[in-house]
Amino acid sequence: MNPVVEVLNVTREAAWLPWAVQYFFLIGLSVGCFLLTLPGFAFARPAWLRLARLALIGALVCGFAAPVALLADLHQPGRFWRFYAHPNLNSWMAWGAFFIPGYLGGLCLYAWAALRPGLATAPAPARAGLLRRAWRLAALPWLPPLPRLLPLAAAWAAGFAALVLLYTGMEVMVLRARPLWATPFLPVQFAVTALAGAIGLVLVLDRLLPPRDRGMEAVLNRLLALSLAAALAVGGAWLATGLLGLDATHAAALASVAHSPEWRVTAIWAALAAAVPAALALWRPAGTGWLSGLIALHAAWMFRWTVFIGGQTVPKTGAGLYAYHLPLGHDGLLGILGTGGFCLFLLIALTALLPWEAAGPARAAEAAAAPVTPAAPGRA
Amino acid sequence: MSVSRRSFFSGLSASLGGAVGAAEAATPGIRAQVGGPRWGMVVDTAKCIGCQACTVSCIMENAVPEDSFRTIVSTYEVREGDRTAMVMLPRLCNHCEDPPCIPVCPVGATYQRADGIVVVNADACVGCAYCVQACPYDARFINHETQKADKCTFCAHRVDAGLLPACVESCVGGARIFGDLNDPGSTVSRLLAKNESKVLKPEMETGPRVYYLGLDDAFLGKVEAEPTLWHPSHRQEARS
Repeated sequence: MNPVVEVLNVTREAAWLPWAVQYFFLIGLSVGCFLLTLPGFAFARPAWLRLARLALIGALVCGFAAPVALLADLHQPGRFWRFYAHPNLNSWMAWGAFFIPGYLGGLCLYAWAALRPGLATAPAPARAGLLRRAWRLAALPWLPPLPRLLPLAAAWAAGFAALVLLYTGMEVMVLRARPLWATPFLPVQFAVTALAGAIGLVLVLDRLLPPRDRGMEAVLNRLLALSLAAALAVGGAWLATGLLGLDATHAAALASVAHSPEWRVTAIWAALAAAVPAALALWRPAGTGWLSGLIALHAAWMFRWTVFIGGQTVPKTGAGLYAYHLPLGHDGLLGILGTGGFCLFLLIALTALLPWEAAGPARAAEAAAAPVTPAAPGRA
Repeated sequence: MSVSRRSFFSGLSASLGGAVGAAEAATPGIRAQVGGPRWGMVVDTAKCIGCQACTVSCIMENAVPEDSFRTIVSTYEVREGDRTAMVMLPRLCNHCEDPPCIPVCPVGATYQRADGIVVVNADACVGCAYCVQACPYDARFINHETQKADKCTFCAHRVDAGLLPACVESCVGGARIFGDLNDPGSTVSRLLAKNESKVLKPEMETGPRVYYLGLDDAFLGKVEAEPTLWHPSHRQEARS
């Protein structure tokens, strides 16, 4: 029995709400999906074209939804302008306010450059003359062909994507007040799990937006297994650093949760959430993509939930752990479901309104224009 | 400037007369002249009886919303053999010399005055809670009414008017002593010179300016204890 009993103390509520989890999850997925588009679009590898097209949809959907969750976490979204009017450049969060539009602006330009040939030439769905006219207009036909725009926009967006990955990790890592967060393993793990989640998302999109591509599925599953193995390795390195006492902060972080049965279950669950889809991806690389993809998405989300919400249940000065009850309103379950619903809406809207199946370098679009069936863009 | 309670009372009228100057000193960006005060607090834990008068007076003085606290007396029961004793640990913002809450603020809303008091410019705060996460002492929170960061200010409005912070004023046992650390003749300086003092979480190297007398090392950091059963959120659940 502990000789010290905490008779009276105060519980500090989680100050970063589930909105923060949603933001870090979605922006990570967007960046991961964007990186997956590069072989097909920026490097014009024909075998990666369908993967790139699906990943572009994923990058746009998650990229548009992520800032909405971030603004909601401010408790008063209209306050965002202060980030630009009075930035404190000593703060990673202040830098993030510039990196996000830099990345999203680059992503939109990149998407337009990839979609432009299709907008100009792809046949619109039957009885959708208005949509076809909108496509032609959106292609900005009065401008000359811009063959260098796609690689340039890719370079711009890739630079900002790297900065987004850097700032989202550093923003949390610099908080020495929370030993669970103050580890250089965290930015690496955010990046690795973002990539795993993005691969999972593309696998799920491959299932949702036929025709399915078994060859691509096998490639993605191999990539998924690699990224999840990396995530397990990073997690194992963090655990070993704490267990062996190689660093006081890591040891303190481990000690703060090691006694908790809930945290032990969480650790086992997290390990299984990475190991099971990796094993599935290696065992049956074709035909199981939707399942391994869903579990990988779950693993990426769960990691962020555990870091942010779980991390805030560890008191900085008090004993034990704070209890966290997920509110049902906008600060909890409704916010999570609402973000998911918004993503679904964006997915339907983008796949219905854009000739995404013809996206890519100009030659790819010309090739894609012929076999596209009239109803193709509206399949979602 | 020695700032004992008596000297505060005796200087009250003069300070009120200089209210305009005090208001200027509280304005962001206007630094006090070199050699001005550096406010700090000494907590003599042997004198604290855990009555929470400081907690209540802080809430009343600063209109702290329900279920939030700028200061509280953490109370522990310690058993050693057949003996049982109580340990009182008043907690508040440490008004650190190197406050980790300031550099993280993305809009520069939290800042340190020339007299060392760390405050939040509520007009500029965006409620991102980054400072809440950065504070190693759990001294900050998001105010549910303003949706902005909130914390102890050493009752800066009172100090500027020549008064003591509300928690010091109301302390029954005289456990909280407030004063100018730059003045070697002040009560806080003399107490620190004569006694061994400790600060919370010294390994964080934040330079806290709240010093504790008679506090065991076991209570300096995250206290390893059986946790308390009571949570403010329990009452909200029962109500709903």
